[in-house]
Amino acid sequence: MPQIFEASKKAFITGNEAIAWAALAAGAEIMFGYPITPQNEVMHYWTRLAPEYGKGFLQTEDELSAGFTVCGAVQSGKKAFTATAGPGNVLMQEPFGMAEAMRLPLFAVIQQRGGPSSGTVVYSQQEVTLTTYGGNGEGHRIVYSTATHQEIYDYTIKGFNTAWKYRFPTFLLGDGYQAKMREPLEMYNPEEHGIEMVKTYPLVGLQGKIGEDREPQHLCNIYSLEEELYEVVLKFAAEYEAITPELVEYEEKGCEDAEIIILSHGVVSRAADDAVKILRAQGIKAGYFRPITLRPFPQKQLREAINRKPARKLLIAESAYGQLDRLTKQEIYGETVAIENLFMPGVGIIDYDIINKVKSIM
Amino acid sequence: MSLIKIALAGEGGQGVQSVAEILAEAAYNENKQTIYIPNFGLEQRGGVSIAFIQVSDERIGAPKFNKADVVVALSERAIGRTSGYSDMNTLFVYDSGFMVKPEELPREAKKIIGIPAVDTANRQLHPKVFNIIIMGAVIGLTNVVSFEAAKEALESKLAYKFEKNPDLRELNFKALAIGKEMAEQSLKEGVGNNA
Repeated sequence: MPQIFEASKKAFITGNEAIAWAALAAGAEIMFGYPITPQNEVMHYWTRLAPEYGKGFLQTEDELSAGFTVCGAVQSGKKAFTATAGPGNVLMQEPFGMAEAMRLPLFAVIQQRGGPSSGTVVYSQQEVTLTTYGGNGEGHRIVYSTATHQEIYDYTIKGFNTAWKYRFPTFLLGDGYQAKMREPLEMYNPEEHGIEMVKTYPLVGLQGKIGEDREPQHLCNIYSLEEELYEVVLKFAAEYEAITPELVEYEEKGCEDAEIIILSHGVVSRAADDAVKILRAQGIKAGYFRPITLRPFPQKQLREAINRKPARKLLIAESAYGQLDRLTKQEIYGETVAIENLFMPGVGIIDYDIINKVKSIM
Repeated sequence: MSLIKIALAGEGGQGVQSVAEILAEAAYNENKQTIYIPNFGLEQRGGVSIAFIQVSDERIGAPKFNKADVVVALSERAIGRTSGYSDMNTLFVYDSGFMVKPEELPREAKKIIGIPAVDTANRQLHPKVFNIIIMGAVIGLTNVVSFEAAKEALESKLAYKFEKNPDLRELNFKALAIGKEMAEQSLKEGVGNNA
């Protein structure tokens, strides 16, 4: 694969720009997209870079089409991706569902904005439910929730590999703040960091006689019989559960003696990290837990963190009205830790908000 | 250097975001941890535009903040819009030529500083470098970046304009120096302190 950078280099850029560069470094060949704030600059930067590097771009007539064209491109063996937000994410649930059904290596970036509906163009964490469990399926998806520009870069590269290795639709879940802010990061060619890019391959038009040279390729999103679908979904579920241990990623700090664990994801975890440091300096034993993969969820690891001391309380902080809270509760069902919450839908959370909440409940 | 939080606000077209970008770029070039985020809500279509900058030696947490160390209001409307970012630790800066009712100024501030940036730009320099005077003032108040780093960042941002008209370089650097001096002076003497 051609090297994009002569050597790894520092940059001070927006998250959207970091995604475009990372996709390029990951060897992405084409982006399909439809404009929506706050993801527009992913498209803008990609279209600026694409002609220089011989890459493709197509602006489709809407998000449905953008999602389906990615579904088509990956079947031909192209490393393709899309990016969207808010109502665009809603529309893309149909193609994302197709990718689940047909096990397509689709990679999509979601930059969350406020909702419901057009909401705000700014920021939220209100697309957690939609991105993890949207569509008329079982949420057989892989969702990375990033917190820094470095992670945006790293997980864009990783996201393509995950999609092509496991063939479950894979998402990078960011937000408007991460999209629009500038922050330093290191950009690199994957090989320099010991990352081998998974080779893409066509899923259709295969050579050889079915039954003799190769197995038939079942790329199906509709079945005649209930029993057929039942078998397929059970098979997907079993495969998803089998790979879960190697996919799950999380961060944990100070949970060994924590009276209270602050659970957050994405950009909010930066504030939670600061809050834990300040609370500890003030003598309050607080811990920090952050799922990086929201799907699959680090269920086992969170249960262990809770039961280590054990913690008396779990505070769930999110820029949504309980989407991470619901996700967490279904995953740690049966734990008796008291769950508190700090729900600030559509607005940012800073360390001060979390510290105040902790003090009010401890 | 501990964390410094700066909010710049003004009307669209005043160059608020440009100044913020240059300042953030200068801090990044000095190997500091830096975050810059513009507000980009619907208010950017004909409203007050705000830029949030944070600079530190250590990793920075949340991208936005509730209270700033320095707030600069570049227009009369921006004063009301940003007074909420001011608390007892905040230096609140506005142009002393604005018609401001006392109740519009923040209730809490470490110091409220009026500097004659518009007037100085118009009389001594050029109306267009008003925002560079403000940038100089921010440096004078916070030392968030060195004067040299600010000049270099200005140079790289405006290189194409400087190339066409070399006089602009001197004009911008002068504006930066005047802004810095005004701010330092106001801290020393309390000039224009309305608080």
